[in-house]
Amino acid sequence: MFARLRSLVRALMSRGDFEAGLTEELLCHIEQHVEDLVRSGVSLEEARRRARMEFGGINTVKEECREARGLGTFDALERECRYAARQLRRSPGFAGTVVLTLALAIGANTASFSLLNALLLKNLPYAHPERIGTLYARTSGPEPSDRRRTVDGEQWEHVRDNVPSLVSAVSGMRASGLNVRAGSVAQYVQAGRVSAQYFNVLAIHPLIGRNFSEDEDRPHGPRAAILSYRLWQTALGGQPSALGEAVLLKGEPHTIIGVLPEGATTPLNADVYTALQPSREGEGQSANFVAIMRLRDDATWQQADAELARALSETVRARRFASTNPGAQVTYYAVPLQKAATDTLRPQVLALMLAAGFILLIACANIAGLTLVRMLHRTGEINIRLALGASRWQVQRQLWVEHLLLACLGATAGIGVGSLALRGLLRLVPERVLPVATVPLDRRVLAFTLALSLLTYILSGVLPALFSRPGDLRSSASGRGVIGGDSSLRLRQALIAGEVALTVVLLAATGLLIRTLIGLQTIPPGFNPTGVITAKASLDDVRYHDPAVFRKLLADSLAALRETPGVQSAAVGLTLPYERALLSAVTFSDGKEAGKQITTNEVYVTSDYFETLQIPVLAGRTITDADGVDAQHVVVVNQTFARKFLHQENAVGRYLNTNLLIVGVVADTVLSSAAGLNAGTAPLTREETIYVPAAQVDAKLLSLVHGFFQPSWIVRSASPSGVPAQVQRALASADPQLPVSGFYEMNDLMAATLATQRIGVALLAGISSLALVLSAVGIFALVANIVAQRTREIGIRMALGSTIAETMFQVGRTGVGASVLGLVLGLILCAGALPPMRSVLFGVGVYDGPTMLAVVLTLAAVTLLATTPILRIARIDPARTLREE
Amino acid sequence: MGKTADLLPGTLDMLILKAVSLKPLHGYGVLLRIRQISGNALEIPQGSLYPALYRLEHQGLIAPEWGQSDNNRRAKYYTVTAAGRRRLREEAAGWSRLAAAIAAALRATSEEV
Repeated sequence: MFARLRSLVRALMSRGDFEAGLTEELLCHIEQHVEDLVRSGVSLEEARRRARMEFGGINTVKEECREARGLGTFDALERECRYAARQLRRSPGFAGTVVLTLALAIGANTASFSLLNALLLKNLPYAHPERIGTLYARTSGPEPSDRRRTVDGEQWEHVRDNVPSLVSAVSGMRASGLNVRAGSVAQYVQAGRVSAQYFNVLAIHPLIGRNFSEDEDRPHGPRAAILSYRLWQTALGGQPSALGEAVLLKGEPHTIIGVLPEGATTPLNADVYTALQPSREGEGQSANFVAIMRLRDDATWQQADAELARALSETVRARRFASTNPGAQVTYYAVPLQKAATDTLRPQVLALMLAAGFILLIACANIAGLTLVRMLHRTGEINIRLALGASRWQVQRQLWVEHLLLACLGATAGIGVGSLALRGLLRLVPERVLPVATVPLDRRVLAFTLALSLLTYILSGVLPALFSRPGDLRSSASGRGVIGGDSSLRLRQALIAGEVALTVVLLAATGLLIRTLIGLQTIPPGFNPTGVITAKASLDDVRYHDPAVFRKLLADSLAALRETPGVQSAAVGLTLPYERALLSAVTFSDGKEAGKQITTNEVYVTSDYFETLQIPVLAGRTITDADGVDAQHVVVVNQTFARKFLHQENAVGRYLNTNLLIVGVVADTVLSSAAGLNAGTAPLTREETIYVPAAQVDAKLLSLVHGFFQPSWIVRSASPSGVPAQVQRALASADPQLPVSGFYEMNDLMAATLATQRIGVALLAGISSLALVLSAVGIFALVANIVAQRTREIGIRMALGSTIAETMFQVGRTGVGASVLGLVLGLILCAGALPPMRSVLFGVGVYDGPTMLAVVLTLAAVTLLATTPILRIARIDPARTLREE
Repeated sequence: MGKTADLLPGTLDMLILKAVSLKPLHGYGVLLRIRQISGNALEIPQGSLYPALYRLEHQGLIAPEWGQSDNNRRAKYYTVTAAGRRRLREEAAGWSRLAAAIAAALRATSEEV
């Protein structure tokens, strides 16, 4: 078997040599025969004649030799391919449409699958990723949940010490931007904070140096840093002597103890890592740590889950949960990191893949329709071939080969389109949104594309060819049918109805997302965003843990700004509208709410914050410079806070946390909803918020909060273009070592918050426009074809007294009818397909009247456009068409 | 030239193997050799010789090699491979058994029935 394959491959590879050798060998045989005959006394002429005759037909022998080599099938295929290519060249319109349709459909699917592959299928870039897990918890009770959990300091200690099956580690929630100074170079980098075993869990071994030790991970332990390969190269020139040197992070020297290997990545994806030093104090009081763990070699996940559940049931948090949720159960367990990392993106990616699948079906329906028409056109040719003795199988094979050629061209173009689409798509996605570094077009994607092309080929090329067998074609002799009278037309109408139905679903989904986005973008912001520029700077620096230094920085920089010409007002706030705010717990101190504890958004602000953003004051006063560190501690609440918790508009005079006096109520502004504060809210919302004077923030909160947030300097100016330079100067005059990390207009902040929504809209809009165009092409081809095919019949109708308008209506009805049927089917499909979208829709229902109306109108307009070929009927001259018969 | 016999189906491959197993031969040589070793009794149809050679080569039973013919022409010589020899042995044995069986059958007289 192997020998035969080898000999076949050899013959195929060097086909020229094979043919030349064959010819030479046969001619040589004949010549030898001739020589022998001559030697026996036959004349040369006669010898040649006899030798040729005895040998038989040289070409027949050659053919048999090729067959003996297994080359026969290949030769036949080659002949058929040549013939098919000739056929396709003769109808470039058909071939072009099919290849383009295939390219777009396969391209869309290739791009979608690349994402799916990179996000859901590809292994995380760690050794034995299946042994890496993270923490989930399932709760029962009135509000059951099952999601990823972060842990607090106490829970972490239990996981670390009481779960022997796992090597566990924790990290901060996410990397944060800060300035690193190494030698004379200062850079703005992403810093991640990780505990001792972190790199061991991920199985990353430093290129040089070592991982964090237990000692360095203890609170107040020695300060150490591990650099990424890239930072080591750029900041320290890749010198091994960098080990043991100090880098300045957050204003404090950290000893470099290790460098990660090139290309090594972690879930934090940071440039520099410091020891987390987790404890039960400070940030460890709340669940601010992300746990990852690696299963030990001799352990099983069942063991680990049992140990985790037991260890975490003995914590304060678990007891508090039990007391506030009587009867409810909470069970902690481990989930593979792979699943956890992609959990949030899974529905979106699957929806994208589904939409791309719709496109493929639509494309198949279109191509199948075109194929049916082409078969009709070729009835004559096929009949001739049958009459000349070709078998039905040969005719079928010929049609299949033609489609195979088209499928190959389409697939090749599709891969190109797909990689372009993918590149465009990735440009849309903001940095650090995807949990993977690259989205490659790898072998699995190519295999998928190949399988997809094969499926398309069978659905759109092989099935239609099988369906309309040559025998049927013969009976429906070319062009003799009547409008709407043959089964092939009905089949094509059904195909178009099907693709229109899918298009309707896609259009409706897109419409709903667009409505959601418009709704979110046009929420009244509650302040005046025009003319406001903001600048962020990282205060994650040990110097600013001292409230006095912090207050002086704010006072000096704001004073400098206020003196700048053109600046109308300036203020500092921990967070801005559109952004996510700090969550904090407060307790009511008086009235009937006394003792009740709630969680709310909290923002520290300087005086003039409300004036600068022009947030209306509804009652009382705002924060002033008089609200200093030694004065009465005050707070301003927003309208939602007053209404939701105090059930009144005017909350002035009430106390929070025993001595925190509410002095004013301001209007709501939009902000990014905090996950978990109010379930099921839109990404932009109005939520309970309290504002405290920056001057009254204590040292403990200061040291903590700047690790998560970078405060903003807010400037309202008559000439916004000059603001960046002014802010830079003002900050430099207050602290020369404080670089600004970025300038933003309020619109930028809104765009950043709504990035996910915008990507969703862009993707779905792209896909549904593609579907719409394909459907339009389908309808157009159907109508145009009827006009072209039935010219004679139309001529007769008109000669018999039918008006042009009547005839146009007759022909146009086929296209419009299919479209209307598709619309009805599509609306029915919507009822089943759209409800799962509910979780991503805000301010708009699943069955939204205006959206559906827009879909119907769009489809109507496109259908009318696509039936324009009926206008050609006006140019048909009955007399001439009849003469031509 | 004596009387020639028609080839039985399936025997051509065996004869070719036998011919080239004696000495490497080109196509025309195979023809002559078979005629010679069969005492001019077997005549190979020339048209079916080459397809058979190509088939045997495809099956790895004979191996081709370009060389010089007696009159200094380039010619393709076939040699039998190890697999070819094995096949020849099997077929020859099978053939002998068959021939013996048929001969025995034809020798039978009415008394033996």
